[in-house]
Amino acid sequence: MPSAVVWELPLPMKTETKCKRGRHGGNKCGRGNKGYARGGNRPRLGFEGGQTPFYLAIPKYGYNEGHSLRRQYHPLSLRRLQYLIDLGRLDPTQPIDLTQLTNSRGVTIQPLKRDYGVQLVEEGADIFSAKVNIEVQMASELVVAVIEKNGGIITTAFYDQRSLDIVCKPVPFFLRGQPIPKRMLPPEDLVRYYTDPKNRGYLADPSKVLEARLELGKKYGYVLPDMTKDELFQMLSTRKDPRQIFFGLAPGWVVNMSEKKILKPVDERLLKYYSS
Amino acid sequence: MAAPMERACSWLLRAATPARGYRAGPLKYSLGGVYQPDPDDPSTPKWQLQPAYKAKMFGRYGSASGVDPARLWPSPEQLREMEAEEREWYPGLREMEAALDEKEREEKRQRVQREKLIKAKMAKMPQLIAEWQQEKAARKQQVKEEKAQRARLVAKAHEHFGNKVNPSSPQFQELVQELDRKERKERKLLKKQQKEAAEQAAAKTPAPVSAGEDLAA
Repeated sequence: MPSAVVWELPLPMKTETKCKRGRHGGNKCGRGNKGYARGGNRPRLGFEGGQTPFYLAIPKYGYNEGHSLRRQYHPLSLRRLQYLIDLGRLDPTQPIDLTQLTNSRGVTIQPLKRDYGVQLVEEGADIFSAKVNIEVQMASELVVAVIEKNGGIITTAFYDQRSLDIVCKPVPFFLRGQPIPKRMLPPEDLVRYYTDPKNRGYLADPSKVLEARLELGKKYGYVLPDMTKDELFQMLSTRKDPRQIFFGLAPGWVVNMSEKKILKPVDERLLKYYSS
Repeated sequence: MAAPMERACSWLLRAATPARGYRAGPLKYSLGGVYQPDPDDPSTPKWQLQPAYKAKMFGRYGSASGVDPARLWPSPEQLREMEAEEREWYPGLREMEAALDEKEREEKRQRVQREKLIKAKMAKMPQLIAEWQQEKAARKQQVKEEKAQRARLVAKAHEHFGNKVNPSSPQFQELVQELDRKERKERKLLKKQQKEAAEQAAAKTPAPVSAGEDLAA
């Protein structure tokens, strides 16, 4: 048996703190000691005891002027796109559209918050390796180059507010029982953007778009893969009409979900209006 | 419309639902069929008689809702209104491009005009600078001369009055005026003398008109 046992003192000595038990924290309930804060009689938010508060001292400047009228485009990085394709949430063997992106919950578009669609962003340009036929609202030059290098096709298209709402949430629209409206043309500020072949705009001349593809290949130093020999050439070359909102559905048709039927108008005037 | 349906399905309801309390109110849901709002009943809400509601019912239930599908599309009047609105507020692509081209041309024309103006004015700049330099030198010279003149006057006054004179005193100014008058008289005399000398010289020599005629011939 040892004559003496030696152990280390547990320094610093910790006193047991009794836990505060009440519903709102117990004891002082997180309100501290004396003062008006304890009794809940605090002044308004931003008050600094009489000193000119920060929000009044700083002079005004129009940084946020007209912010609610500015168009917003939700960013979608190439990295996220690759992630969605790899996980199987997006099908690269079908044209990728805003509807597909929304259905796969890749992006969440809020048309009521001045969102006008999706913009492709360059993050992940070095790891992107998917062949897709994608349609977005805005894309930079590098993004276009990356997608075309991998043998895909990118188009930039405009959706007005009503069409955007329909494209993002097709099922609630079909349940409304309204005929599919025709997509409106972009406003004047965006006409130049969507008629430019460099942006692969949907209103641009297709022959000029082909030339632009070659030029971009020369600029970034890659050879354009020949798409006519591709097995998915048919799918890759499908593009929407400027007035079309959904692939395979024309404006003027009524889609009925419960009976799985499509109703098409027969009247001449309606046909003329919806096909103009 | 609701009441007969309820009566018809009441035994179904009684069979399907568990026993509810005495004086339980009517059930809010129906077991079969689509609810058709009665247009003659004053208690049906107005919004249930609107075409948008009917379209929604068609969208949810299809032909079972009893809605005429032809009513889903706009009527001729509505179509006319829509077309007029589109013609006014949504110009075609060609018109928008033409308007943009016009704007760009106008902006370019104004820019070119402004640049031409600037170029023309900048071309004049060296000459204007030189002129200004000359004006500056002339102004300096004038200031110097004025100073010298004032110094002379002060010196003259000094020798006149014997002590330092304040230039703003009335005596000094009277002296200045006297000197001015004297100078003018001297100048006039000089001019007169020059004129007389010139006339005498002219009278002495033959008339220069004949020499001019000889030359012309």
